[in-house]
Amino acid sequence: MEQLIDELTRGNVTEVKVVLATVILALAVYQLLLAAVAYGWLRLPFLESATASWTHRASGDAIVVLTVLVATACLAYYGFEDGGAHAVFGCILLGAIAVKVVVVRVGGRISVLLPLLGISVLTLFGLTWLTSAGDFLGVGG
Amino acid sequence: MRRPPQTIQILGSVLVALAIVAVAIAVVTAHFGPTSTAELEAREDVVKERVEQREERREAREEAREERLDP
Repeated sequence: MEQLIDELTRGNVTEVKVVLATVILALAVYQLLLAAVAYGWLRLPFLESATASWTHRASGDAIVVLTVLVATACLAYYGFEDGGAHAVFGCILLGAIAVKVVVVRVGGRISVLLPLLGISVLTLFGLTWLTSAGDFLGVGG
Repeated sequence: MRRPPQTIQILGSVLVALAIVAVAIAVVTAHFGPTSTAELEAREDVVKERVEQREERREAREEAREERLDP
């Protein structure tokens, strides 16, 4: 697995991981905007809430796929032991995403948890990014 | 202001997502600079080529000098 990741990234495992993690974080911030429009907290003259909701789900699916890819590469290549805070935030993030997906699929009354779960997932994305890609790019000192 | 048709809204919001992805990739890769293995290897090749050329010129000079000394 480690060799496959090394070959796929042509030896630039960290760089590819940082790029993908940054793309995920940028899309996650866009998700917040789309969710705000979907819930009617933010009204834009050119975007209906139903459309924002559709795009929110579509880019959310893309984020989940990318996150699973990055997490797999991270665990297979670097392992868990030396991960520190990044590994802890990453695991909580994966759990939060799983819970959010279940809540979306089940629907009903527990859907009221979605905004809270969404903000938690975004915060965890931020923390996970800051403790790896952010460190690598020299963000936050 | 009248809202555009839904297809246009969907296309627009997806295009914005794609633009965000493109900008994120561009910003991060620009931050890296020439750290990719391919670029570093290309740089090493150029340096190696220069060293070899210098070596060849030095050998040619030495041979020419030896020819002058041993008629």
